[in-house]
Amino acid sequence: MSTLTLRLRSPLSQRIDMSPFTPELVAGRQADEVARILLWLGNRQVDAGELFAINGNSTEQIVIQSDSDRLDRIGADMSGGSIRVEGNAGAYLGCGMRDGAIHVSGDVGLAAGCAMRGGRLALDGNAGDFLGGALPGERQGMRGGSIVVKGSAGDRAGDSMRRGMILIAGDCGDYSASRMVAGTMVVLGQCGAHTGTAMRRGSLILTNAPKSLPVTFNDNGRHNLNFLTLLSRGFKDLPAFASLADKGNLVQRWLGDLSCGGKGEILITTPDLA
Amino acid sequence: MLIKLEGGRIYDPANNINGEIGDLYVRDNEIVAAPGDNETVHRTYALAGKIVMAGAIDLHTHIGGGKVNIARTMLPEDQRGNVMAKGGLTRSGGGHAAPSTLAAGYRYAEMGYTSCFEPAVLPANARQAHMEMADTPMIDTGGYAMLGNDDLLLQLIADGAEQQTVNDYVAWTLQATQCIGIKVVNPGGINAFKFNQRALDVDDAHPHYRITPREIVSKLSRALYELNVPHPLHVHASNLGVPGNYLSTLATMEAAEGLPIHLTHIQFHSYGTEGDRKFSSSAAVIAEAVNRQANVSIDVGQIMFGQTVTVSGDTMAQHANHNHAHPHKWTCMDIECEAGCGVVPFRYRDKNFVNALQWAIGLELFLMVDDPWRVFLTTDHPNGAPFTSYPHLIRLLMDRSFRNDLLGEINPDAASASHLGSLQREYSLYEIAIMTRAAPARILGLTDRGHLAPGALADITVYHQHEDPEQMFANPMLVFKAGDLVVEEGRISKPVKGTTQVVRPEYDPAIEKEIGRWFERYHSISLHNFGISDDEMAEGIGSRVTVHPCREGRP
Ligand SMILES: [Zn+2]
Ligand SMILES: [Zn+2]
Repeated sequence: MSTLTLRLRSPLSQRIDMSPFTPELVAGRQADEVARILLWLGNRQVDAGELFAINGNSTEQIVIQSDSDRLDRIGADMSGGSIRVEGNAGAYLGCGMRDGAIHVSGDVGLAAGCAMRGGRLALDGNAGDFLGGALPGERQGMRGGSIVVKGSAGDRAGDSMRRGMILIAGDCGDYSASRMVAGTMVVLGQCGAHTGTAMRRGSLILTNAPKSLPVTFNDNGRHNLNFLTLLSRGFKDLPAFASLADKGNLVQRWLGDLSCGGKGEILITTPDLA
Repeated sequence: MLIKLEGGRIYDPANNINGEIGDLYVRDNEIVAAPGDNETVHRTYALAGKIVMAGAIDLHTHIGGGKVNIARTMLPEDQRGNVMAKGGLTRSGGGHAAPSTLAAGYRYAEMGYTSCFEPAVLPANARQAHMEMADTPMIDTGGYAMLGNDDLLLQLIADGAEQQTVNDYVAWTLQATQCIGIKVVNPGGINAFKFNQRALDVDDAHPHYRITPREIVSKLSRALYELNVPHPLHVHASNLGVPGNYLSTLATMEAAEGLPIHLTHIQFHSYGTEGDRKFSSSAAVIAEAVNRQANVSIDVGQIMFGQTVTVSGDTMAQHANHNHAHPHKWTCMDIECEAGCGVVPFRYRDKNFVNALQWAIGLELFLMVDDPWRVFLTTDHPNGAPFTSYPHLIRLLMDRSFRNDLLGEINPDAASASHLGSLQREYSLYEIAIMTRAAPARILGLTDRGHLAPGALADITVYHQHEDPEQMFANPMLVFKAGDLVVEEGRISKPVKGTTQVVRPEYDPAIEKEIGRWFERYHSISLHNFGISDDEMAEGIGSRVTVHPCREGRP
C-alpha cells in the first residue's frame, strides 16, 4: 500500500483546517493535485504545497509529519482509510469521523474525537479538554467508535458522550464524564474534581477514587461485577488496559447524578479488598 | 454622474405605473426627470425585457438587537452548517436561521432589498441594536422601540395620566432610542408574566396595575396618531399561538378605536378551536375584519417548513412553547425589566397537522385580504422562516398550481381543513410591487423611497423576466442603492453602508423630569447615559441618522 505524505515545511503563523486531507477526499489524486488544494491561512488562501512537502499518491493511508499544535480538524468527518500523524495534532482531531483509523504519535489539542460516530482514534501522547465531547452548542458528544489514549486527558473528557468507548491510561482533568448520556469510559490514572457532574446514564470505570464526586452521587455499596472480566478481555491487544483484569471484579459503585435522573454509574475498582 | 435605465418594464404602484415600458434617469443618489438634450448620459443600461421596481422594503425582520444575538450564540450549529467564506469584496459570515450581520446584509441586497426594519428594539438595548444594524451592510435600517410592558407606562396609565403625558413619553422614547416606530408586544402580558400570570387576554386586568391590554393599545395608538408619527402602533397581539386567539386579535383591532393600527405576524393570531384537534383556521374571519376596517394593516408572518429559530419579546408565549424547542435548548431573559425576550429554536414540519395548517393559514390570509396596500410580505424573520424564503413565498402567491402541488404534500388532515385549495387568486407583479415596496414605504412614512418618481432615492431593483417568480426574485440582475450599483446578477458588486431611519415628533421636555425620577429610583443607569445622540450614531455606532418628517398638521 502506497502512502500520501504531508510534511509541514516550517512553523505556522496561523491555524490550518486539515479536513480536506482525508483518504476519501484525496482518493485518486496525484501529489501535485493535492498540492493545489486551497487552505485558509489566516485571511488568505494558499496552496497546500506552499505549507507542506507532499509525496506519494495513496487513497488508503495519509501520513502527516508535523510538530505543530496548529493543524486542526485532521481526519474530520472521515469515513474510511487511515491517517497517521507523526508528531502532534491540533484541535478537533477526528471530529465527526464515521469510520477508519487515526493514530497520533504525539499530543493532540482540544476536542479530539468530538461528535465522533465511529472508527478508531489512538493517541500515544496526551489529549486536551473535551476529548470525545460535543461540538460547542450541541447536545450530543461522541456517538460511536473508540478512543484510546496512552497519556492523559484534559478537563471534560467524555462530555455529553452517548455511545462508544474511551480508554485513558493516564490521568484526567476535572469534570470527567460530565453530562454523559451513555457509553463507557475507563480511566486508569487519577480523575480530578467534579467527576460525573450532570451524568445521566453510562459507565465510568476508575481504578482510583476521583478527587471529588458531586454530592448528588449516592454510594451504592460494593459489588462483584462479572462483566468486568468480559470487558477487560476485550483489551487484550491494549497492554496498558489489560492490567484492568488484574484488579478483579470487586468495585465500589456510585450512582448519579441525582440532579438529572441519577442512572449513571461510577465503578471504582478496589483491588486491596479483592 | 448621470445613469440611464433604458426600456425596462416598470412597476411603480405609488405612481400608478403598471408594467409600462419606460426609461429612468439617476443622478448621483437620486432619481431625476429626463435630462435635456445637451446633457451627457455617462452610463446606459439597456433593459429591454427586464422588470424594474423600486428597492424592496422589509418592515418586520429581526436583524438586530439582543434576542437575535442570543439566537446566534445559542445556535453555533447554524453558523457551522452555513459558512459563507470571505469573497473578493465581501467579508465572511454565515448562518441560516440567525445569519450574522454581514450575511444578512449581503443576502438582503442580493434579493433586491434596500431597507429593513427591526421591529423589537428594547429601549435599554437600543444602542446594541443600532450597532448590529450598523454592522449589517448594504441596507438602510430602522427600529421600532418596544413600549407597553415597561413599568413607567403601565404606572402612568394606572394613575390615570393625561393622554398628553403618554404622548410626551412616547415621543421622548422615539428620540432617545433613535427609532421610527413604536411596537407593543403582548400588551401588558410580558409584564404580567413577571407577576406569575401565564395568560392575559385583551380585557383581563393586569394583576398589579389593574389595567387591561385594551387600554394600553388604545393609549399608545392614540399617542402615535396625535404625535403625527406616520407608522401606526405596531402590535404583536395578545395570546400568540393559542388556539382560539382570533377573538383576541379582533378585540385588539377594536382597541384602536378606529385609529391606525398595524397587527404584525397575524398568521400566529388567526387560530380557531374547531375540529377534532381543537385547532383550526380563522383566517377568513380575520381577513374579513381587515377588509372591513380601513384603519387596520397587517403583515402575515408566513411559516415555511424547515429549521428556524423563534425570537420574540413575548416571554409569556416563548416560555409556554419551550417544550417544543428543536434542538432542545431555549432561553428567556430581560434587561432592566423593560419588556422581555425568549429564544426557542424550532423546526416546522409539513407532516405535522399544526405546522401544516399554520402554513395554509398564512397563505389564506395573503389571498383573502383584498387590499395589497394593507398586507405585507413577511415571515417575521426568523420566526416563521428565514427571510431568504421570500422568493419561494412570492411564487406561492403568484402561482396557484405550484401552491396546490405543495398543498398536496402537507399533512392531509390540515390540507382538507383549509380553504386554500379553493382560493383562485394569483398575485400580479404589480401587487407584489405594492406589498414589498410602495405600501411599506407609505405606512412607514418614507416618502423618499418605495417609488421611482423624480426626487426619490435611487434604490432600484432590476429583475430578469422569468417564468418562475422564485428564480426571478432570488437573483436580481441589478440592484442600485442610493444610485450605486451594488449587486450584479445576484452577487454583491459593491459593498456599501446604509443609514438609520428615524422620526422626531416634538414633545414637552418637562417629561424628562418625570422619566429622570423613574430612572433614579429604578434603573441601573442614569437618564443622561440612556439616550443616543446623532453624533454617537454617526461616530460611535457607525450609522448616520436620516430623519423622516412626521405627517403634517394636527389630526
Ligand atoms: Zn412579535
Ligand atoms: Zn417579529
